[in-house]
Amino acid sequence: MDRVLKKRIGKIVTWFLTFVLMLIISVPGLWVVLTAFRPNREVLAKPAIWIPQDPGWTNFAKIFGFGAEQIAIPVPAYFANSLIIASTSTVIALLIGMSGGYAFARYRFKFKNKIFLGLMLSRTVPGIALSLPIFIIWSRLGLIDAKLGLIIVYVALNVPFTIWLIDGFFRQIPKEMSEAAQVDGCTRWQAFWHIEFPLAKSGIASAGIFAFLTSWNEYALASNLTRSTDSKTLPVGLMDFTAQFTIDWAGMSAMAVIIIIPALILTFLVQKHLIAGLTFGGVKG
Amino acid sequence: MTQADVASTANIRPRRRRRRNLTPFLLLSPAILVILFVVLLPLLFSFYTSFTGYRLIKPETLYQWVGFQNYQRIFADKNFWAAFGRTVLFLTIALNLEFLLGLGIALLINRITWGQRALRTMMMFPMMFSPILVGYQFKFIFNDNIGILNNALQALGLSEGAIPWLVDKYLAMFSILFAEIWMSTSVFAILLLAGLFAMPRDPLEAARVDGCNPWQVFRHITLPFLMPFAFIAMTIRSLDVARAYDIVDVMTGGGPAGRTELLWTLIARVGYDNARMGQANAMAYISILLSIAFTYYFFTKLIAARKYMGGAD
Amino acid sequence: MAAIRIRDVVKNYGKLEVVHGINLDIAHNEFVVLVGPSGCGKSTTLRMIAGLEDITGGEIFIGDRVVNDLPPRKRDISMVFQNYALYPHMTVRENLGFGLKIAKLAKPVIEERVNEAAAILGIDELMERTPAELSGGQRQRVAMGRAIVRHPQVFLFDEPLSNLDAKLRVQMRTEIKRLHQTVRTTIVYVTHDQVEAMTLADRIVVMKDGYIEQVGSPLEVFEHPVNTFVATFIGSPPMNMIAGRIVKKDGHFHIAFQADQTVPVAADLARTVTEGQEVIFGFRADDLMPDEHAMPIPGASSRLRLKVDIAEPLGTETILFCNFAGKDIQAKMLNPRPVPPGEVMDFSLAIDKAHLFDAASGHNLRN
Ligand SMILES: Nc1ncnc2c1ncn2[C@@H]1O[C@H](COP(=O)(O)OP(=O)(O)O)[C@@H](O)[C@H]1O
Ligand SMILES: [Mg+2]
Repeated sequence: MDRVLKKRIGKIVTWFLTFVLMLIISVPGLWVVLTAFRPNREVLAKPAIWIPQDPGWTNFAKIFGFGAEQIAIPVPAYFANSLIIASTSTVIALLIGMSGGYAFARYRFKFKNKIFLGLMLSRTVPGIALSLPIFIIWSRLGLIDAKLGLIIVYVALNVPFTIWLIDGFFRQIPKEMSEAAQVDGCTRWQAFWHIEFPLAKSGIASAGIFAFLTSWNEYALASNLTRSTDSKTLPVGLMDFTAQFTIDWAGMSAMAVIIIIPALILTFLVQKHLIAGLTFGGVKG
Repeated sequence: MTQADVASTANIRPRRRRRRNLTPFLLLSPAILVILFVVLLPLLFSFYTSFTGYRLIKPETLYQWVGFQNYQRIFADKNFWAAFGRTVLFLTIALNLEFLLGLGIALLINRITWGQRALRTMMMFPMMFSPILVGYQFKFIFNDNIGILNNALQALGLSEGAIPWLVDKYLAMFSILFAEIWMSTSVFAILLLAGLFAMPRDPLEAARVDGCNPWQVFRHITLPFLMPFAFIAMTIRSLDVARAYDIVDVMTGGGPAGRTELLWTLIARVGYDNARMGQANAMAYISILLSIAFTYYFFTKLIAARKYMGGAD
Repeated sequence: MAAIRIRDVVKNYGKLEVVHGINLDIAHNEFVVLVGPSGCGKSTTLRMIAGLEDITGGEIFIGDRVVNDLPPRKRDISMVFQNYALYPHMTVRENLGFGLKIAKLAKPVIEERVNEAAAILGIDELMERTPAELSGGQRQRVAMGRAIVRHPQVFLFDEPLSNLDAKLRVQMRTEIKRLHQTVRTTIVYVTHDQVEAMTLADRIVVMKDGYIEQVGSPLEVFEHPVNTFVATFIGSPPMNMIAGRIVKKDGHFHIAFQADQTVPVAADLARTVTEGQEVIFGFRADDLMPDEHAMPIPGASSRLRLKVDIAEPLGTETILFCNFAGKDIQAKMLNPRPVPPGEVMDFSLAIDKAHLFDAASGHNLRN
């Protein structure tokens, strides 16, 4: 009797805590999403209006330049910039990361641990600290306010972590797999493409998505290396709203939703592989 | 097989062996080149500029050697030390709380059987948010005038006036910490949960048979097993602690009046707004050393923990 | 012709030398088993033949080509790995056909060869499954199938049975032997299990610490071990080994053990021993027979009366654990009867079949 009661109380406590946790995680985001569908005057109303009175897509229409009201912020251009910069840098980082990750997973060589540590430490340099010299050098090279400038930086930003993840995924594939293929008549290169790559594919994809999101979300460097619609990305563009005198909360929220949505979808796709990659690469060395 | 053939194969051998040893370096060279060009070279350059009086608006000052003057100046600067202290404090509180909360959340979710996968996926969302969005989101929520928090407190009658969440010195720091912890706790929760899943059952059962109570089992079996996972999380986190810059920049911009200034926002202000690149680079160097120290510390911990877990070479 | 010649082959891992200049000739179509304790360099040797490890020094010939610098794919070999290394993302059919596809053979040819291999191994039913859907024994067969479809000159096996349970291991052992008779190629087979080595091999190569200790047919190795290591490693139960010293008694050499027990030296060894020499006396359990068998012992014999400590009945025979000269030894009894602990029995020891090893070098004095 006592035990049963104890168990039941434990269960209730567990569920209650979980509920609170989920509330804390989801309410801020949901509130932003809700705001994105409300007119700004409703957001600013005092006393607060809790239930949306007339929800609609006006904020989104406004941002994308449809509808009656126009705003001065060129979100479609930012969106295109973000997309081009994030995808290009991701593809390049993946190629470099696959090659490097394979080297770490499959070869023994001198200074292996030191090189690995060096790559990781390069990632620790705070974006803002790195942005100062890059700003100076890039302006001499004409890479300021250019997509290429940001792409190069993002590749470097993503390479270490991509290598960490991909190294982990390749390590999960027994070495004998590639050896068997070589005995079966493959060159090492063929063995890689026929055997190891297909087996690591989903892991590599999630490393790619992770890299994409890092670029997609980056702010510290982008805010200092971009100037105009030529290269400004969405996170930088979001700050355009705050620069104005009165903050357009509703419009900003709509833009936030645009930034969030790819992140949500992609996270959903990779979560399983990502955890596996992180833990394997780390724990099994 | 003739003598000549034997001789020729003997000649090939050293060449082939050398190529084999080069392969990994060849594979790594793109990665190393990119890092050299985008990280190391700029860092060397910024190291140089930290000894000059370089100002963005006066290009000729790039060659104006001032020795340790920038460093002397920032070491004598109260604002700098305040920001430095605040940053260390911020990191210590954030990382510890994230670890503890993450551990709690992992243990909690581990107990749940129904809907566990969905919970896990949800847990990952904050981690994938752009820090700038997290900042914006909490700027909106903590807004003293129209923020949902103050609105709710007022509607429930818990507070009369508007609480200045982002203006008051302590409240602003709290708000920023809250945003940071909201964003990053899931890194710990996710990895510790993975650790719990990977945990073998036998030692737990053996400990229970040996007469340990649940707390002792947790303290002596579960926690040591989880530590490598905690260190992975710490290492990953320490790689990008500076993401907090984005949050602070949106939420308070380091203000009001420098009350939430962290090392990173200070660097941005000195470098870009005041255009004193030399001095900003000197500060940047200190922030880099701080980050490297954090990462290196956790990385060595991770390697040590890994060894005792029976990891590879 | 796919004879394999190994000449002074050395292997280093960094500074550590793990194979120390071994020499071995393997004839065309011969079934050779490398056997030895774990870590003695068997896999390393096999992998050097396969081309999966660089050869630090010396030369390996397959046919009349030096293969030192050839990658695995050019050596015309195939290999069965300990963990099978089946490609998890391919069906059994694709696994079998993969090597042929890489070799760009025509589709119908691939089809035909794959079916032929499947028929030999009896895996026709499994062709559309993936490795995850197979049992251990089935995976083993597929791995062997993958090796035979390519009609290579040499098969290499690295402990292929060690992941199977005891019963399946015996069954697959027979199948491998049958396979050798069907496909007739040179086979190099690595195992740490001496029973496997004895049952499969045309010739056994006994290795230890990166050296080859002895090469010979199973019977040669069993009956004429060159040293104490081979003597104890090959055969089950292991050969009884007792340290002693040569003494002269009544004009004949004897081996004196602790507690003044002695056994005469076999006549053929009388010339090789010297008085006072430290030796190790070795004999197999089969050569220490209870007198109650009433079976004639070939050659000279010596009578011993021993107390049985423990008896292990195995069905057709019973292993008796006794103490002789302070050392635990084993004898074999063929009479099916229970033996209570402590029973004292009379034995005859076949002196002419026993071995004498030099205590210092471990060499068999008879060779
Ligand atoms: N990749 C390696 N690096 C260093 N030493 C190795 C490596 N592979 C094997 N060794 C060492 O070489 C010796 C022989 O190994 P191996 O050939 O695998 O033995 P086995 O006879 O059990 O197959 C062992 O002592 C092993 O520790
Ligand atoms: Mg082995």
